[in-house]
Amino acid sequence: METAIDIGLKFIAITVAFVVVLFVVAYTVLAERRVLGFIQGRLGPNRVGYGGVLQPFADLLKFILKEDITPDKSTRFIYFLAPVIATMAALMTMIVYPFGPEIRIPFTSITIPLVITHFDVGLLYVLGVTSVGVYGIMLAGWSSNNKYSLMGGLRSSAQMISYELALGLSLIGVILLAGTLDLAQIVERQSAWHGMRWFILLNPLGFVVYLIAAIAETNRVPFDLPEAETELVAGFHTEYSAMKFALFFLAEYINMFTVSMLATTLFLGGWNVPFAEDIFGRGTFLFGLVSAIGFLLKVIFFLFIYIWLRGTLPRFRFDQLMNFGWKILLPLALISIFITATLVFAFPNF
Amino acid sequence: MLTLLFILFAGMAIGCALAVVAQRNPLYSAISLIGVFISLSCLYVTLAAPFIAAVQVIVYAGAIMVLVVFVIMLLNIEQEERRRNRLKFLVPTAIVLAAVLIAEVAFMLVSVNNPTPAVSDIGLTSSIGSQLFTRYLLPFEITSILLLMAIVGAMTLARRGGLLSAEARLIPGAQQLPLSLVDPNAAPDDLRLVETDSTEAAARLLGVDPLNTKRD
Repeated sequence: METAIDIGLKFIAITVAFVVVLFVVAYTVLAERRVLGFIQGRLGPNRVGYGGVLQPFADLLKFILKEDITPDKSTRFIYFLAPVIATMAALMTMIVYPFGPEIRIPFTSITIPLVITHFDVGLLYVLGVTSVGVYGIMLAGWSSNNKYSLMGGLRSSAQMISYELALGLSLIGVILLAGTLDLAQIVERQSAWHGMRWFILLNPLGFVVYLIAAIAETNRVPFDLPEAETELVAGFHTEYSAMKFALFFLAEYINMFTVSMLATTLFLGGWNVPFAEDIFGRGTFLFGLVSAIGFLLKVIFFLFIYIWLRGTLPRFRFDQLMNFGWKILLPLALISIFITATLVFAFPNF
Repeated sequence: MLTLLFILFAGMAIGCALAVVAQRNPLYSAISLIGVFISLSCLYVTLAAPFIAAVQVIVYAGAIMVLVVFVIMLLNIEQEERRRNRLKFLVPTAIVLAAVLIAEVAFMLVSVNNPTPAVSDIGLTSSIGSQLFTRYLLPFEITSILLLMAIVGAMTLARRGGLLSAEARLIPGAQQLPLSLVDPNAAPDDLRLVETDSTEAAARLLGVDPLNTKRD
């Protein structure tokens, strides 16, 4: 009986997280279009609803109603499978992020942890699931039976396996500092110094390497070579239309969201808000609320960086991309591990 | 509950493994192999070994199979033709070996009655780490050196012969080949073979200016 209730609660939690993620993604797209408009000296979409707030839903309606085309010579089953893999892998990481501390609902004694599930190796789980996501892009490129798609798929897989190394190595510093792979405990370790012992202060180089590698992993500007429109039309999703294209679009933005959440959790203290514990006291409802809002604001900050970069930077050339990944980013990640390990060894109680 | 999950993932693993050998298209086989790895990692989770499960996905599904799929896509390997078995003696050998394997498994199931302890720390991160860096330090280091040797060996093999000299890089689209590899009759129409002593002379023959095409 208890397991049934447990499973039911998990199901509700996953549904809530899913809805929140889709909501955030929808408004990230809108924010991106409005901010890009601002950067480029124009308005952006502002007609549907007040200031354009209903624009995401109009877009969704359009995606659903468009004709769904499958190329004649495509490998049909894999062509259908690819967007599903991409979206699933992107969504599956949601369950391990701690959105906030345990909160007690006012006037009752019920406490809810603001995390869907505890996983001892949460960090490795995130890395594993996101590394499966690359198949979505590769298979999409292959199954479309189109030169541009194939080149886009190949490029993206080469890019993602190159930058995954730097990404993984940049996280080792955090693991050394925290001494655990559990995301909830990593956040707890950052709550000293009045909620200011953020790992970005102790491991700034690792943070920079992580951020760059993560942007490359999500195929965003300036690393968006798999879909460089001047040379590859639209890259791996050239042949995709309607809802299948929307799934790729969704996966890309969910990946941005998860990368932002991981950066917040590992480097910016997760839900730790400076001095919140001193003011509200641990375990109160207000503390939980402030922490969760703090977490969301930090994530939004990273999403804004993504949009800002897209409005500012030109795209890399492919050989520059590879050189940068292997000859600059990877050594930097190794140096950050060395520095952090020395620090941890020299000041074990720091 | 655990038994149910075990049946589900074990069935998935066996089904995918059968698909790996049964598929004619190499890409389908590769995808089925990824399915095997993922089901195995789910089995590790049910065995309370989360670290091994995560590493299984990261290393096998996330890195090695990406390379395999990458190569299949890059070479554009076509569907394998159905052909007669040339190695006839392999069929009886396979039957004998399969019989031995099945006998071994049956023996294990019948004779060994040793239920695994419910709580064990074999698959946990800390126990793996401490064992790896104390008791199994030497094998661990030797494995690392072996991998390093493999990388160096692969690079040496890949660079032999096809390496462009630093000067030849200055001509766009040019490739320096040893003379033994060059067959003028087999060259495609848009390829021009130029035999020269120096890069400058080659560039002049091709009609490009080597100084203006410097890369990086």
